Amino acid sequence: MNWLDISSSAFIAAFFLYCFAFLFYVIAVAGRKWSNRKPEEHVRKWSRVGFVFSTIGLAAHLVFFFTRWAGAGHIPTSNMYEFMTFLGMSIMIAFTIIYLIYRSPLLGMFALPLTIVIVAYAAVFPQKVQPLVPALQSNWLKVHVTTAALGEAFFAVGFAAGLMYLLRVIDFKGTDKAARRAQRWIEFTLYVIIVIVGFIGAVFLFRGMDYQASFTQTTISYDKTGAESITEDKVEYTLPPIVKPYNSETTSIEPFLGMKSPLFEAPSWMNGANAGRKLNTVIWSVIAGTLLYGLLRLVFRKPLGAVIHPTLEGIDPEDLDEISYRSIAIGFPVFTLGALIFAMIWAEQAWGRFWGWDPKEVWALITWLYYSAYLHLRLSRGWQGHRSSWLAVIGFIVVMFTLIGVNLIIAGLHSYAGVDG
Amino acid sequence: MFHNTKCECGHQNHAGTVLCESCGKPLDAELAGDNAPLEMRYDGAARRSQKANPGLIDRVWNFFSSVKIAVILIVITLLGAMLGTIYPQEGTFINFNDPEYYEDTYGLPGKIYYMLGLSHTYESWWFIGLLVMIGTSLVICSLDRVLPLYKALNKQQIRKHLQFITRQKVVYTGRIDDADTEEWTVRLGEQLRKRNYKVYRDGDALLAEKNRFSRWGPYINHIGLILFLLAVLARSIPGWHMDTYAVVPEGDTVRLADTNYYLKNVEFSVDYYSNEELPEELRDTVRAKKYQTKAELYECVDNCAGTQGEPVLEKVTEHDIIVNSPLSYKGLKAYQFDYDPTPKLKAVNPMLVDKKTGEAYGPFHLSITEPEMLYELGPYRLELITRFMDFTINEQGKPATKSREPNAPAFLFLVKGPELDPAGETFIYFPKQVDKQRFSQDILNRELAERIEFRVDSMEEVEISGATTYLNIRIDKAMPYIWVGAAISMIGLVMGFYWNHRRIWLRIDNGILSLGAHTNKNWYGMRNDVAAVLRRMGIELDPKSLDNGGNKT
Amino acid sequence: MKGKMRKPVQIVILIGVLLLGGYAIGKTLFVSGGAPKIGDKPPAFELAGLNGDVHKLEDYKGKPMIINFWGTFCPPCVKEMPEFQNQYDKWHSKGLEILAINLSEDDITVRSFLRDFDLDYTILRDHEKTVEKRYGLRSYPTTFFVAADGTIQDIFVGGMTEQDIDTRVEKLLQG
Repeated sequence: MNWLDISSSAFIAAFFLYCFAFLFYVIAVAGRKWSNRKPEEHVRKWSRVGFVFSTIGLAAHLVFFFTRWAGAGHIPTSNMYEFMTFLGMSIMIAFTIIYLIYRSPLLGMFALPLTIVIVAYAAVFPQKVQPLVPALQSNWLKVHVTTAALGEAFFAVGFAAGLMYLLRVIDFKGTDKAARRAQRWIEFTLYVIIVIVGFIGAVFLFRGMDYQASFTQTTISYDKTGAESITEDKVEYTLPPIVKPYNSETTSIEPFLGMKSPLFEAPSWMNGANAGRKLNTVIWSVIAGTLLYGLLRLVFRKPLGAVIHPTLEGIDPEDLDEISYRSIAIGFPVFTLGALIFAMIWAEQAWGRFWGWDPKEVWALITWLYYSAYLHLRLSRGWQGHRSSWLAVIGFIVVMFTLIGVNLIIAGLHSYAGVDG
Repeated sequence: MFHNTKCECGHQNHAGTVLCESCGKPLDAELAGDNAPLEMRYDGAARRSQKANPGLIDRVWNFFSSVKIAVILIVITLLGAMLGTIYPQEGTFINFNDPEYYEDTYGLPGKIYYMLGLSHTYESWWFIGLLVMIGTSLVICSLDRVLPLYKALNKQQIRKHLQFITRQKVVYTGRIDDADTEEWTVRLGEQLRKRNYKVYRDGDALLAEKNRFSRWGPYINHIGLILFLLAVLARSIPGWHMDTYAVVPEGDTVRLADTNYYLKNVEFSVDYYSNEELPEELRDTVRAKKYQTKAELYECVDNCAGTQGEPVLEKVTEHDIIVNSPLSYKGLKAYQFDYDPTPKLKAVNPMLVDKKTGEAYGPFHLSITEPEMLYELGPYRLELITRFMDFTINEQGKPATKSREPNAPAFLFLVKGPELDPAGETFIYFPKQVDKQRFSQDILNRELAERIEFRVDSMEEVEISGATTYLNIRIDKAMPYIWVGAAISMIGLVMGFYWNHRRIWLRIDNGILSLGAHTNKNWYGMRNDVAAVLRRMGIELDPKSLDNGGNKT
Repeated sequence: MKGKMRKPVQIVILIGVLLLGGYAIGKTLFVSGGAPKIGDKPPAFELAGLNGDVHKLEDYKGKPMIINFWGTFCPPCVKEMPEFQNQYDKWHSKGLEILAINLSEDDITVRSFLRDFDLDYTILRDHEKTVEKRYGLRSYPTTFFVAADGTIQDIFVGGMTEQDIDTRVEKLLQG
């Protein structure tokens, strides 16, 4: 058994431990009102079980990380799979720290699913160890990526707590305009999360079925002198093609539910690398997520926010608000150091410029500016509760866009060397 | 609105003061009648900008001293920065000089993007303007708050007004049964000291304080940011900043633009990942593992303008440049940026063959860039008439060159020799086989092609220069200041976020203890501190019960 | 800080901001790419002529002149050269100088090329594109018309007819 085998076993162990830990936290929080037991004792007992499981899960995750490091010969943060699993691990570290301060099992009920989704999302990407290009062979890079991910993990915990706060305080019975608007938006947030789950589900479903289709895409480009050059690229799909790449011919396709050919063609302005495939993936995610959401609605027969809301009753919303804020406040200096200062040191070393307005850099700056606005609003303008929690939720969207969106969308429309989704 | 600035304790306050600077009593009548927790920002001191009759300077000052404005500026900057990431910026291209690029690549949206100047968002006047305004706001906001805060914290009165204490966000009131209240206070002070509080006592009134330094965190952070921004601005001082590229073929020496330095690419090498190092799906693909330029740096000491022949160079340093390890000399740095492994033809050593006799003369060394003017080969004499770097036939049907790059070199000789016209006959020679065919060398040379030819016998007679290295040449004298600014800013952040300033006031009036506590962050920890201390004094309570509401920051 | 110190401090800071900020913003507006524009002074240079003699731009101070960039590889540049010679014959007595800077080509190319022409005006040799970059050239030929007061009166990108040159030179000599 070599390092990488141990590593992948540890990864699976961590994943299931997290799932169990999540379950126990849910029992801890939701089971308070069960008959014939004292609520405080019940919470204490089950949250201890949950914490033990999540801590062992984190330990397994750390084993995964270090064995992969040993096996690959470089720190496993260099491709999307490695980075996302590392982010999941950082969230668990951040969660553990915040949990030790506040001892709230409720936080586990939200932070763990977040970790689970991120780790599952990571598994969508190719898991092979890849060699490093020269620019990535730097110690500063290791420090930069790990520190930045840790800072982002605290923002993620802040997001989880903010979302909890909102689910706790939003009046789901209210009928006035403000209450309805809040209900709609929280429901939309939950829907988006389910679409991401749907994306992961769709990818694994079709991967299990070993689905494949491929296309030949023809790209015509003109150089400065006006000379035409034609390139043909093979585009592989692992999800049934609802949308085929722009200006492409089908080479092979497995029929799916009677669908024997693509229904649409991607628009011409989506001319970046694999833009057609990415669009197809987005469509599938929305379909799968909507189906899942519809199913849940059918089961519960009320909005999901209203389903979660009662389980949170009796929890002090101000604690949640403070956890959310503290988490962000702890994460902010870490993020500044990792995502900006260490990044600048590395960039200065590798390219001789500490700042180059590269989209990834700009988005790290945008994230930083966003959270500094959050902190100013909270500390100096007294934005608390609702407003601050919404900001924490939106902030995490900004973080995720910086991490994934920049690579998928901006790199998808242009041809930046990005990580392929 | 702030009329009465003299407090009942006798202290004369500045205009704009919310809580008396001395005893902490709410000054505003409306506020005094209320029972809600007090706003403790800057301890209720007047901010510098609050003044009765603002003039123009005061108005500008007030504008920039507002946190609201600061947040708005941050948000606009953030949105502006987003716009710049829609399409690649002009700076992404080494030499951007094609105004049609955006329209050609992205169509109409691209054209609009370019016309709006968003293709250079981060160098635009409005983006720089926003940064300048943020910088201004940093200076004025900080100055406007740090001084009153400093004054307020520097001379604190120990015995505070009862209303000040009971209207804090963490409050405890209760009966003290001990007869000697002063002794009780002393004992409580001991407990607080154990928790690292600094304790000041005035009879049975007490003030305990810890981590005051964390209040300076935000201001230190702001000072760091200002320094950082100034350092960035300083790069535009002439000579402080340079950023160019040098393209150096192996073996060549190239002058670094706008400097007195020359760089020689002694040797360029690339290591590729071996198949064993690559995962399965990448087998047999070419992936660079490391590329290195063995470089020598020269300084020009004489005839640097190149007007009197070749400049005189003196070697100053050498370094093996790899991606994370630049050559560095007196602030000038050369970074490995990219490379082009395509070999370039440097010279050929052909034989002149007399087709009739079959005799061969030579070989002779024909350099592409620096050919000799005359070659004497046995009975033959080759006089170089001219050389075309990138051969073409122009509109007048004459041979010409298309560019300065040696894409299709051609040599035009005047050949003299046995049985040839004594005045000489012209002969054109293409060293590259492809060009020979493309431009039909034999047809161009007509009869002479039947008489002589240039023949390259083996690949050993072809000299090919190795890969071309692309180096990024930089001078950045502002860097130390940038790092210092970043470091100061980071220190400020850590001070401000990982410690918090906690204060506890208490007084005992007729056996009734009134205790109030304040912190700038982390109320959870503050309540735990108070509860723990009271527990030591025999008062058991749940930390949460100390909450007086409104504890959110 | 005492109340009476406050105003001066405010004024000093605001003036500082105005100067530094104005400089930062102004830089973005007025200096773009560093290429000389109409009304600017032409960037200085020191170049060798065909015989190795050194020519400095400041040697021609006070004279109206044409600074032309050319290369043997650029047909419109080549086409212009006899036209410049005609203009030179016509106006040299009035003080007109023509400095034709070759685009960093090598000795053989330039010499063998000029053998076919009979040019009297000054041909200069750029080295490693130094002066070319300083003048921010994007395409060839590019011609700068410099008035006697030392400012650029006109910049023409692309090949010119004799008429084009003539009208510009007349304007140059009037000013």
